[in-house]
Amino acid sequence: MSAIQSAFPGAVLESRVESDRRLWITVDPKRLVEITQFLRDKKDFDHYSGAAGIDRINENLFEVVEILTSHGAHQVVVLMKVKVPRDKPSVRSLTGLYWNANWYEREIWEMFGINFEGHPELYPLLLPDELVGYWPWRKDFKGYPDTTTGERAIEQVGPDGYTEFKIMPHPELIKAGVVPERPKYPTFREREEAEIKSDSEMIMHMGPQHAIVPGPFLLDLLIEGERVKKAFLDVGYIHKGIEKIMENRTYLQGIVYTDRMCYLASITNNEAYCGAVERLLGITPPERAQYIRVILAELSRIQSHLLGTGEFLTLLGAATYSPFQYMIIDREDIVYLMESITGARITHTFVRFGGVRNDLPDGFADKARPILKRMRERTEEYMDLLHSDPIYTRRMRGIGVLSPGDARRLGVSGPPLRASDTPYDMRREDPILVYPDLDFKVVTRKAGDAEARVEVRLEEILESIHIIEQCLDRIPDGPIQEKLPKKIKPEPGEAYYRVEDPRGEMGFYVVSDGSEKPYRVKVRGPVYAYMQALPPLLEGAYVADVVAIAGSMDACTSEVDR
Amino acid sequence: MVLKSLKYTLKTALTTTEVTRLYPEVMMELPANERGIHELDATTCIGCGSCARVCPNSCIELVPYRYGNPLKNRKMQFPQIDYGRCTFCGLCVDECPVSCLKMGKRTEIAGWDRKDIVYGPDRIAVKKFSDREVAELEAEAKRQAEEKKKAAAAAAKEKAAKAKGKENKAKAKPGEGGEA
Ligand code: SF4
Ligand code: SF4
Repeated sequence: MSAIQSAFPGAVLESRVESDRRLWITVDPKRLVEITQFLRDKKDFDHYSGAAGIDRINENLFEVVEILTSHGAHQVVVLMKVKVPRDKPSVRSLTGLYWNANWYEREIWEMFGINFEGHPELYPLLLPDELVGYWPWRKDFKGYPDTTTGERAIEQVGPDGYTEFKIMPHPELIKAGVVPERPKYPTFREREEAEIKSDSEMIMHMGPQHAIVPGPFLLDLLIEGERVKKAFLDVGYIHKGIEKIMENRTYLQGIVYTDRMCYLASITNNEAYCGAVERLLGITPPERAQYIRVILAELSRIQSHLLGTGEFLTLLGAATYSPFQYMIIDREDIVYLMESITGARITHTFVRFGGVRNDLPDGFADKARPILKRMRERTEEYMDLLHSDPIYTRRMRGIGVLSPGDARRLGVSGPPLRASDTPYDMRREDPILVYPDLDFKVVTRKAGDAEARVEVRLEEILESIHIIEQCLDRIPDGPIQEKLPKKIKPEPGEAYYRVEDPRGEMGFYVVSDGSEKPYRVKVRGPVYAYMQALPPLLEGAYVADVVAIAGSMDACTSEVDR
Repeated sequence: MVLKSLKYTLKTALTTTEVTRLYPEVMMELPANERGIHELDATTCIGCGSCARVCPNSCIELVPYRYGNPLKNRKMQFPQIDYGRCTFCGLCVDECPVSCLKMGKRTEIAGWDRKDIVYGPDRIAVKKFSDREVAELEAEAKRQAEEKKKAAAAAAKEKAAKAKGKENKAKAKPGEGGEA
């Protein structure tokens, strides 16, 4: 902190040191890029974790919060804020410093209408074209079509007798200035077609429904012969607006929505959200609750890795010995264990502010131990099986190599980053709950290829089993819920909390204004970062390997789109 | 190599893991705290509406129902749940102040029409009073109401008398609060 202050006198407008791992600063918008460069080059903040926009309508300001962290050099998270006036919002883009700032800034632009100077491609990312220009995340957004006028669709009968319904604003309304005019930009199709340079190149569409990952997104490949020259991604097919919905629900009701962002990681999403709200409320859950949360988080990691790997193997055509079916059988045991605690199979809504919903059932440890033991044997079998399969190895080894430098630059986290020889794990970097007391190792691989990514996942299952077994041995008796105020109304403030999701770094940024509902919730998901990193990773690959590369990232579109 | 892979296949095929169940004849064994269809104990529900307020999807509505306890639930309003919207999150169960709403092991919901899956109190109630008990309770409620009216009237009279005698008014209050 003092380093920044001495290097940039007068540029830091406000600052707050929350703990030894969180630093909040508000800086002068004009000097944002300089300060970021200083932090990146001199202070090892080499990981751009994300950015969030906040509409402070009462103060007539927009805030943009840039979240900067480091890949293991230290554990400080800097949340750097700039404030810009609401009438002409513009912030300098950080894309020149961090490659992966691109999508985060695009999202803020399309949601809030904050311009980013120097951004190379300010096109909509998640929103459909009709909505751009309405800036739906602003607080004065009335809904589209405008719910105050009740206008829905415009009916038009064409010359051929077909009736078409359009939900576009009237041209007169645009002219009169009631509806903002849509910004001009080339569409996705125009952008990709502009890249076709010669007759030997063509565009191949993969998606929006496809086998690479569950969930729709469009992957267009510009191919020349057998090689991918450039890849284009279009996401947002299932954009649900969860961040906005959560602003209109109470804190407690928000938990339900975090489940639905990614059903394989619902416990960790619960955990991240509740953790952030706990910071706002200033409470810590009792020890027993912390252990229960860890047990569930690790069980959820196991089942997610099993399903992710199994599904991916079917894509590769590993049908002879159908590992997918084996993994589903094994996953069933784990899901059953989770169900016996929470009462639900995938959408758990289990973690509560300052505790958990209910206690472990009687005899849970006795039931869990044999299942975990079997799980360990099975995982070792899988590792052996995959290792010794020549077809699998030929398709995976050396494919889609992500060098450690690139992996950090592209901002990926979780197993793909660890497979690229970077021991970066939130359970170590930003330890929460009882993780500091537990013994586990961060699994890494040197190779950085598709095979390494799957290996990391499988080995992490073993680590998770080890963690759960320790928890079962140590879990103390006691209460499972901290005393809460009758109405959950945190003091005005903000908190950022991150956990290690099965897929990587999952962070929740929650802003409170002292009312019953959160003022703003921003989700920083791991798959968003993977998806963004996909086009550069696919460049130069063979078409046949695209599935192996994209599938080995274990993505989940639902969380990207939120 | 490939043979090794096949060895695993055989091994799995020959072990006795249960893989397919003959649903719907054989149901899966559900754990004790399964979150399935709600179970309402109509004899204790006080009709407070907390469950309706906390539901994130507004699927609970309070509707009139006969077989409850008129002593505790004055207006005889009980939750009705729209399973077309319910996400089985369990927040309503956690919120209930008298713990009369639970979630059970029943999980099958089907209907021809959207309104078929809106379960009223008659379909979710697992404990309710019989006609006779309700009649008795209603009589009791009436009696209590009358008593209360009388008490209130008496209190008012007393109050008026005391006011006349320039007594301290606060003394009249305990009579009013009884039988609530
Ligand atoms: S379980 Fe959740 S969604 Fe269903 S009625 Fe209760 S609160 Fe509403
Ligand atoms: S079920 Fe419980 S929360 Fe709902 S109205 Fe009855 S007493 Fe109130």
